[in-house]
Amino acid sequence: MITSNRMQESEVWTANRPRRKVDFTRVLSFILLILITLTMLMPLVFMVTTSFKAQRETMQYPPTLFPDSLQFSNYVDIFSRLQFGTMYQNSLMIAGITVLATLLSSSLVAYGFARFRGTGRNLMFMLLLSTMMLPYPAIMIPQFVLFSKLGWVDTFLPLIVPAFFGSAYNIFLLRQFFANLPEELFDAGRMDGCTEIGMYWKIALPLSGAAMATVAIFSFIYSWNDLLTPVLYLNSSDMFTLPVGMASLTSSKFRVAPWHLLMVASVLALLPIVILFILAQKRFVEGIVLTGIK
Amino acid sequence: MVNRKGKWSTRMLAVVSALFAIAVMLSGCGGGNSSVGADGEAVTITYYTIDSPDRTFVEQLIPDFEKQHPNIKVKVATAPYEQFDSKLQTMIAGGNAPDITSHFGYGGFAEYYNKDMLLDMTDLLKQEGFDADKYKIPKNLMDIYQVDGHTYGIPFSSYVTLLLYNKDLFDAAGVPYPPSDYNDKSWTFDKMVADAKKLTVLSDDPNKQQYGLQFGWGELDNRPFYFGAKMYSDDTWKNGGMPSETYFDSPEAIAAYKKIFGLVFDDKVSPPSEWSASVAGQGGDPFVTGKVAMSVGGSWILSGANDFGFNVGVAAVPAGGNDKVRSTLFVDPLFILKDSKHPKEALTWIQYLLQTDIQKESIELSGGTPPVNQEAAEDYYAHFNTIDPKDLKNVYEGAYEYGYESFNHLIANYSQINDMMINEMQPVQNGSARVEDVMPGVQKKMEEILARTKK
Repeated sequence: MITSNRMQESEVWTANRPRRKVDFTRVLSFILLILITLTMLMPLVFMVTTSFKAQRETMQYPPTLFPDSLQFSNYVDIFSRLQFGTMYQNSLMIAGITVLATLLSSSLVAYGFARFRGTGRNLMFMLLLSTMMLPYPAIMIPQFVLFSKLGWVDTFLPLIVPAFFGSAYNIFLLRQFFANLPEELFDAGRMDGCTEIGMYWKIALPLSGAAMATVAIFSFIYSWNDLLTPVLYLNSSDMFTLPVGMASLTSSKFRVAPWHLLMVASVLALLPIVILFILAQKRFVEGIVLTGIK
Repeated sequence: MVNRKGKWSTRMLAVVSALFAIAVMLSGCGGGNSSVGADGEAVTITYYTIDSPDRTFVEQLIPDFEKQHPNIKVKVATAPYEQFDSKLQTMIAGGNAPDITSHFGYGGFAEYYNKDMLLDMTDLLKQEGFDADKYKIPKNLMDIYQVDGHTYGIPFSSYVTLLLYNKDLFDAAGVPYPPSDYNDKSWTFDKMVADAKKLTVLSDDPNKQQYGLQFGWGELDNRPFYFGAKMYSDDTWKNGGMPSETYFDSPEAIAAYKKIFGLVFDDKVSPPSEWSASVAGQGGDPFVTGKVAMSVGGSWILSGANDFGFNVGVAAVPAGGNDKVRSTLFVDPLFILKDSKHPKEALTWIQYLLQTDIQKESIELSGGTPPVNQEAAEDYYAHFNTIDPKDLKNVYEGAYEYGYESFNHLIANYSQINDMMINEMQPVQNGSARVEDVMPGVQKKMEEILARTKK
């Protein structure tokens, strides 16, 4: 019913307006865009359909796009074949704390860089940015020595604690955003007797929904996908994170890789990122509305 | 912007120090994995392996071991295959080295040996009265991980190169199965190629396309050895994997590579690399898709044999011109690392893993790892549904008689050599260059790598 109403409305709408000529370039570009979208979606579709295949079918040639019969048991098997539940939990916990810690530490530092002038501020900021140039392998061993001396090997600490110390890229991103907030807002806060930390908490943060959402997504994806750090620091299999467990599925040359299970794992691993993105998307819109700028 | 530096920095200081305090508090939960053991106190040893069910099965053996040896605790540390070597290096550099491991990753024995990572076990073995016969380890396998009479590793599992064939395709084409007996003089490389021709179906329809043979004997630099060509000088095998000379542009080597690539381009019995990739995916094995009749390769392909959608048989690698060597061996040893604080306890664990009953149990737990213990090996031969145990036994015993350890375990800096070979041979592999034009370049690159290794 609702759809038919809508259709009528749109008919009315078109009828009342002077009939426009069909814009062929628009139609063409839509067709082209749809085609490109479908091409981009193909691997994703293939991933999902493969996750329902039996192992034997994953070896078939030519490969089938849709499985002969849906094997839902794959989604149960993954929990018994791997400690998938434990790994999922570990990954969620580490990524969750990392996101909160990054948001807090990076925004605080960024606020400082954006709103205060002091001697050596630019030098400090340059130093901060220069840490972005260091690739992880360059600091891998010294950091390992540090954390192993602290007795942190085979704990989650080496994966979580660094997030409490900010990350250069996110600080840079937030600093640019904070610097663009209208000065008048802070003047108003100051007149009402708000402290600096109060203005950070009550003015800067609430207005930075979009930027904070971006940082949250970046740090979540980074932590969620990180393979090398957990591989280095975690030894016991009940401490493993998802990427480690998934890498292990293909890590034996002595048996045929269980691609169907790997695809199940990939589908399930994708979910939190999709959910986070949907949640964050709301904040993007809110952020733009609230600041009243641009 | 108003400058309120003074006020701010005190607050900032407070926040930062709070963060530090949290970090310090958190650090309290970690720590305390020291394993210093005086007499009577339990000692913890770490066994480092790949995170894959066919390797981590040892975890299931630990409770029984710890019951027998109450003063030793075994901890298993794992990493995925790709990251195995970098994690090991980091652990050693960080003073957190495991006690026992093997060359489970890309690097081989020679690499570990030359990086001085391994414990010379000779004295320890003497002191503990280690006897290889007690564990039914063939002498020639024990010799592989010795340098100048010093033992650096003890074999615990052994893969060989064998010929795997698809019985269904043989039946359909009416070709008799190849023999498993290495003494069958009629079974030669040329006979294998002739059979492969009968089993090859060339067609424009990818569904009907079928190939007779894929020849994955050893790695690329290893392969001419099968035809009797010498690639590395003899001192390589005695001095810990440092060849003084290589012969990649010798007429014998060129002739051998021509035969190997001729399988694809002249005889047309072997699949071109792009076909293999499209059928089996990157790094996959086209044989398991059932579109290839014979496959010469490492016996690890067997581990999946009970899941293949067709019947499998095993046969001897045919005679190819090298009278002494017909099968590349992949014998995995256990090493004790130099940094181990408890080598004696580590050896106890190794000895436990080699016992006949444990080696037998390991076959089941790992899903088909070939044991080095020859008494336990009988169980392995009977492990596969469609394979006659007699054939597999023949193939293994023949392989030991005509076997040579894979070069990737024996030559220093092998990962560089292998990468270089793959890159340089690429044009030959896809048919855009001739072997004789490429090999002088390979030889030159090889000399450069060796010169760097010696430094």
